[in-house]
Amino acid sequence: MAKGESPLKQFEIQPIVDINFLGFDISFTNSALWMTITTAFILIFFTVPFLKAKKTNSVSDLYPTRMQVAAELGFNFINSLLADTVGKEGKKYFPLVFTLFMFILFGNLFGMIPYSFTFTSHIIVTLALAMGVFIFVTVLGFVKHGVKFFSFFVIPGLPVYMLPLLIPIEIISYLSRPISLSVRLFANMLAGHTLLKVFAGFVSALGFFGILPLVFIIALTGLEILIAFLQAYVFAILTCLYINDALHLH
Amino acid sequence: MPQLEQVEFFISQLFWLGVFFVILFTVLTYITLPKIRAFLNQRDDFVKSHISKQDELIKKAESIIENYEAKLSEAKNQASQIINDAKDKALKESEDLIKVTEEKIQHEIKQTEERVAKEKDTAISELNDQLKDSATNFLSKVTNIEKGNINL
Repeated sequence: MAKGESPLKQFEIQPIVDINFLGFDISFTNSALWMTITTAFILIFFTVPFLKAKKTNSVSDLYPTRMQVAAELGFNFINSLLADTVGKEGKKYFPLVFTLFMFILFGNLFGMIPYSFTFTSHIIVTLALAMGVFIFVTVLGFVKHGVKFFSFFVIPGLPVYMLPLLIPIEIISYLSRPISLSVRLFANMLAGHTLLKVFAGFVSALGFFGILPLVFIIALTGLEILIAFLQAYVFAILTCLYINDALHLH
Repeated sequence: MPQLEQVEFFISQLFWLGVFFVILFTVLTYITLPKIRAFLNQRDDFVKSHISKQDELIKKAESIIENYEAKLSEAKNQASQIINDAKDKALKESEDLIKVTEEKIQHEIKQTEERVAKEKDTAISELNDQLKDSATNFLSKVTNIEKGNINL
């Protein structure tokens, strides 16, 4: 990093190939490049180990390859997450939650590679994902329950005179879901990467004593990897909970 | 903050996000995840069938053990019966033998006693005769009466 460069410069979008479609600028940028890498990696990571996987016909076939174990781990993780939060009906939404979780997880993790780009650190990306989830669960709720879906905003067993106060609160909390969902992910990524960059600036500025921020950066990198996983997990589990709300209302 | 300043790239970001998310979702939904699920289900079925087979084998083994134990105890009973029978037989035989021998001995004792008594009687009568003879002799010598006339 050149001296005096803003720690926010890492979030700058740089077009790689300029594309203009019907007057819209849809240039292939560094953000799109890392989305490509993430998508390709997920598809390879989960598909390739099972292309060659033999049918289990004997006990010796029970030993999976290492890649297969890793892929199964991801599969079973989301599978149990959905089973725990939504239950049996959740199986239908497994591909959606799986795609969301893996896309965000590997987007976050690849963002930890030096000189890479974290597309989840952009509010427009996280907001689009969160709005997608929000619109999906709202439509799902109306499809499942029709007009009865509005009873979601009425907490059962509450005295009637409390309703005028609580129904607006429920509606506001429902509408703020996509905002909290997107800002949580965006802010975590933004803050973590900015913090890393700021301390990286201290390393060169402090000369010999730069070793102290360096040690701190190493620890912080570990924490950031944890947060990368945790935020993907939070996004996925909240999606599961919203699906559960839409399916069962209360 | 580039996230809010580079508004001109919003559409580009949304476009590529949509493209890659749809690609990822479609391929995962229709190819990858069914493949993984089918594989895992097949493996689970295999394991389950093996477990049930194992249960069957365990049951079989248990019944074999039961059978074996029943036969073993039967054989043991038979063996002890045979031993008891043999013991009883031997005891009876020895008792019989003892009885027979005792009877024999008793018989012999009796015979001997009888013989002894007979011999005693003959001896006494012989002695009597001799005594009578000598007494007659003595008397005839003393009295000069002929032997034939003396009647004791």
